[in-house]
Amino acid sequence: MNCENYQDLLSDFIDGSLSPQDHNKVETHLSVCGACAEARSDLNAIVGFCLEHRGEYDAVPNERALWLRISNMIEVELAAPSRTAIPENAGWWFRLMNRSWQLSFPQVAASIAAIAIVVASGTVVGVRRFQDRGFQGTPIVSTGSSVEARYRQRQQVIDYWNQRVELNKARWNPQMRETFDRNMSVIDAAVNDSMRQLNQNPHDEVSEEILNAALNDKVELLKEFAAL
Amino acid sequence: MNFHSPATRTRVSFAALTALFLVFVIAGSALAQQKVSRKFPAGKNVRLELKNLSGTITVETWARDEIRVTAMMDAPAVHFNPRQTDAGLVIDIVGDNRGRSDVGDVNFKIQVPARSSVDLETRSGQISVSNIQGELVRAHVWTSGDITLSGVNAARVFAANTTGDIYFDGEFASGGTYEFKSGQGAITLRLPANCGFRLVATAPAKQISMGPFWSDGMKLLGEGRRIIGDVGDGRASVTVTNYQGRINFVRR
Repeated sequence: MNCENYQDLLSDFIDGSLSPQDHNKVETHLSVCGACAEARSDLNAIVGFCLEHRGEYDAVPNERALWLRISNMIEVELAAPSRTAIPENAGWWFRLMNRSWQLSFPQVAASIAAIAIVVASGTVVGVRRFQDRGFQGTPIVSTGSSVEARYRQRQQVIDYWNQRVELNKARWNPQMRETFDRNMSVIDAAVNDSMRQLNQNPHDEVSEEILNAALNDKVELLKEFAAL
Repeated sequence: MNFHSPATRTRVSFAALTALFLVFVIAGSALAQQKVSRKFPAGKNVRLELKNLSGTITVETWARDEIRVTAMMDAPAVHFNPRQTDAGLVIDIVGDNRGRSDVGDVNFKIQVPARSSVDLETRSGQISVSNIQGELVRAHVWTSGDITLSGVNAARVFAANTTGDIYFDGEFASGGTYEFKSGQGAITLRLPANCGFRLVATAPAKQISMGPFWSDGMKLLGEGRRIIGDVGDGRASVTVTNYQGRINFVRR
């Protein structure tokens, strides 16, 4: 399973509704994957907040009485003379803007549903057109170049954390600096080896997985030392 | 020996001064190290969580329902505040000393009940865990340091370092998950002959030795850089990854 699959299970994991086997798998993954552990913390915080504030948004004690009060107020307002008197020779725009709109709940719901359908249809059509244009206008992306793209993307994250580490490095003792640099070079060697293999064989799954794992390790190591 | 001769007197004086100097050096270093030992009450299924900056971590079991932590600190000013939680004991040297550069090595020796779970990590230094029979054993050295897990029989085991050897001598529980990962160093798993697991072992250096655990159902992938397949009933899940070193399976 990848991180996406694990994150899909997080809600059930927090609720304790996973099977013991799945629970163990998720727990093991969380103990080694910083991103998923962070997602778990976020979800935990949301669930915790909801539990903490449970009951604060319950229904009002007498719903019917409240609705009657609201209804009375609306009727009083309707009975009052209109704030703007519309002259007989006023234009359609003036009439439209000064008209009093009174819609029932089904009317409002139907309007919202209609707007949602229009927006969704527009989005689907737009995405399809974009995809069609993409396939026609650009060459098919090879596996090799997608690896390159992912590598560049990951490299941006690495650069960010590298800067954070460099800021703190001056505070470390020489032994820690030496240990960090030596170990970083081990991970870099694994990244370079995988890249070399992928240049020779862009469809090499083992090298691709090792590249991803090594890049993840590098990010995690940088994050860990950036926090020191 | 003529003690009155100037040459002999010079030699004796030199030896005496050297001995005196060594005594001061040894005594000085012993005094500089601070030793702290504390005991904490614990149930049988307690969880120990330790985050260290650098130094060795040794976890052993004993037949008492308590945890004893002995810490040898290089720097006497290290903040060392173990916290007892509902689940067990948390020692966070990293968090307690964030932003400080004078922490140095803190060497831990910890005794726990056998059914404990242990979650250990350090930026550098060796980790050694023996005879744990609890739910979880996690040992993570972020940079350099050997990891030795012996007599371990836990449902979940995770051991990872960047540089250094990993040695596991224990059993795989049915349905358990086991992950071993190193950047550079040998990973050796010493297992009983009858153990069953589903294996994914990856070593780009193509140095995977299955020993007696090789079976015909196993597949070699990526020109021998990866081996996948079942050993025995295949009920435990085992993942072993070594970027630059060897992976060895050895029978007990």
